[in-house]
Amino acid sequence: MTTLAPARTRRRQDRAGYLFLLPWFGGLLFMVVPFFASLYLAFTHYDLLTAPRWAGLANFRQMLGDATLHQSLRVTLVYTVVSVPLSLIVALAVAMILDRGVRGLAIYRSIYYLPSLLAGSVAIVMLWRYIFSYHGIVNDALAWFGIQGPGWATDPRYALGTLILLHVWTFGSPMVIFLAGLRQIPAMYYEAASMDGASPWRQFRSVTLPLLSPIIFFNLVQALIASFQTFTQGYVISNGTGGPGQSTLFYNLYLYQKGFAEFDMGYASSMAWLLLVIIAGFTGINFLAARFWVFYDN
Amino acid sequence: MNTETTTAGLGRRQALRLAGLAGLAAALPGCGRGFGGKNDDDGKIELNMVWWGDAQRAQFTQKTLELFHAANPDIRVRTEYQDSSPYKDKLAARFAASDPPDLMAMRFDSLREYADRGTLLDLATHTDRLDLSGLTPQATALGQVGNQNFGVPSGLNTIGFVIDKSLTDKYGVRIPDGDTWSWTDLATFAQQVSKASKGKVYGTNFEAFTVANLLVFARQRGEDFFTADGRLGATAATVTAWYQMIESLRAAGGFPPAGFIDQNNGTSPAQSYLAKKQIASQIIPTNNLLGYNQACGGALQLLRIPGETQATRRGQSVDTPALWSIAAKSKHPQETLKLLNFLVNDVQAGKAAGATRGVPPSTKVAEQITATLEPDNRRSNEFLAALQKEKLPASYPYPVGASKLTNILKTISTEVEFKRMTPAAAGEKFMTDARKAIAG
Repeated sequence: MTTLAPARTRRRQDRAGYLFLLPWFGGLLFMVVPFFASLYLAFTHYDLLTAPRWAGLANFRQMLGDATLHQSLRVTLVYTVVSVPLSLIVALAVAMILDRGVRGLAIYRSIYYLPSLLAGSVAIVMLWRYIFSYHGIVNDALAWFGIQGPGWATDPRYALGTLILLHVWTFGSPMVIFLAGLRQIPAMYYEAASMDGASPWRQFRSVTLPLLSPIIFFNLVQALIASFQTFTQGYVISNGTGGPGQSTLFYNLYLYQKGFAEFDMGYASSMAWLLLVIIAGFTGINFLAARFWVFYDN
Repeated sequence: MNTETTTAGLGRRQALRLAGLAGLAAALPGCGRGFGGKNDDDGKIELNMVWWGDAQRAQFTQKTLELFHAANPDIRVRTEYQDSSPYKDKLAARFAASDPPDLMAMRFDSLREYADRGTLLDLATHTDRLDLSGLTPQATALGQVGNQNFGVPSGLNTIGFVIDKSLTDKYGVRIPDGDTWSWTDLATFAQQVSKASKGKVYGTNFEAFTVANLLVFARQRGEDFFTADGRLGATAATVTAWYQMIESLRAAGGFPPAGFIDQNNGTSPAQSYLAKKQIASQIIPTNNLLGYNQACGGALQLLRIPGETQATRRGQSVDTPALWSIAAKSKHPQETLKLLNFLVNDVQAGKAAGATRGVPPSTKVAEQITATLEPDNRRSNEFLAALQKEKLPASYPYPVGASKLTNILKTISTEVEFKRMTPAAAGEKFMTDARKAIAG
């Protein structure tokens, strides 16, 4: 068999590469078209049923006075600020325990990772709703101690907290990444530190944290972005209403209501763009702050 | 042959195969679906009919369509159905995508959202194809906006009060006379049940946020919740009185405590607190009597809404859970009208459909199928037939924006339930929010 000329081989490989990329380009269309469509719609009044009418900045002006929008921002912010650090701390703690060479690590890793895969699913949120309902397992357990628990999902004072708990429970995916990060830290640092007489806490602060900081940063940015986009949990636990009493009205849930239930897709589009700006802002701040605490070993 | 060419060669072959598959996949939905009723390969006209409901309703619907197919071999009806809340969103999206179904179940509170925007066929101009002479004026009025008609009730219903006799027997409480009882009688009854059961069963519970409930209450106070010209007619005083009544029921122990009821528990009879024997009575749409009675063990009594004989005027009305509407852009309006006419006027179709959507809107069909119905369905049919003979206030299509009111009321109800808002403040808040929702 003749050997092909290098240039020809290269071209063939390129062609194969582009062919493989074709579906991606096809998929890109489904991104780019809605992207620009929503940018245009953000500046219109569009009720889904009749043609959009140009509205200029009217939607954005309306946002300023929209108390429900402000409520949904509050819900999303509280959720993010509480659940993101909490779930990262739990993830890191569990990762460190598993890193200590527990027997059957693979099994534990899978068990802890499972909720991450499932938590966004409708079935788990439904299950959650039953566990925390007025007559659910949690209140049954409290009843043994003579306590009548509240409606964890039906009382506006507790509903968001219940969802935060559900989120913290899904620490699996940052945990797996933490675990990989911990494995990367050379054992000699710990050996040297313990020879210097550093306590475990001191080792954690001076060795683990700085060397893990790029991983923490990565997990933080990921979790933050995901948190701002929370939708399923709020939708399922409240049947799409954001209730009880707007206490689980996530930003994306309100956006969805506006677009599909209230026939106001123009406003929903402008909300989507505001969310983009908010997430970009938070991510930007993160990257700026990272200079002061993220430490790259090499 | 070196390794590099092998990979490249294989890669290319695989890539080509992959690209071929991708192309095929892209082409598949195009030929498989037959959007919006185009002529199919076998020359049949395909209509798309969508509605919401459960598997049981699907069975009944399929039976009626088989009869239609037998009588009209040149038309095929493709149906889609799902639960009510995704249905609403999906329908709006389909209109937005210029792919409306030919025949669709239309929520009563959304009719004007669609009709006022010119997306529905005016049925009043097609009386040659669609015979609505069998409907009472009240039933016809449900789909009318001015002189135009955008929907035919898919079935008639009203709201009624059901009481579980097995529980009242167990606790020795007498059920009040369902034709003449007052709201005070309800309060006394509810309190007796809660007390006799030592708090194991609450006397009553009904949704404070369901517009249909509040609407009857407003009428009893002499107000039209929505007026004929599509405005809000209810006053803050009525909404306040509604919440005051519920709060005093709760304070007296007849109504479950705050947080007890998950207002998003789902609406199926099997999931209801009534079926779980945690409450003894509640308001239900009469077309669901069969389902509720099955879920509760068969001892439900059907009563009127309290206050009908004491009030300044009647509150109950003949309503519909859903209307059949035709898209203005349907490619086959004539055939769709034929299908609709069949659903409304064909007695066999009415028999096959049973009472899954309520009492057939045509009184002729309703009379002929009553004997064939199950006892519970016959009971709700007779309840409604008696009601239709009485002098009742008319029911008007909800104004544009009215579909937002349930959410508004849900929020307010929660605030009142947890004492974060007084009934008086709730009345004011409702007026502000509702006016804004209906105005734009």
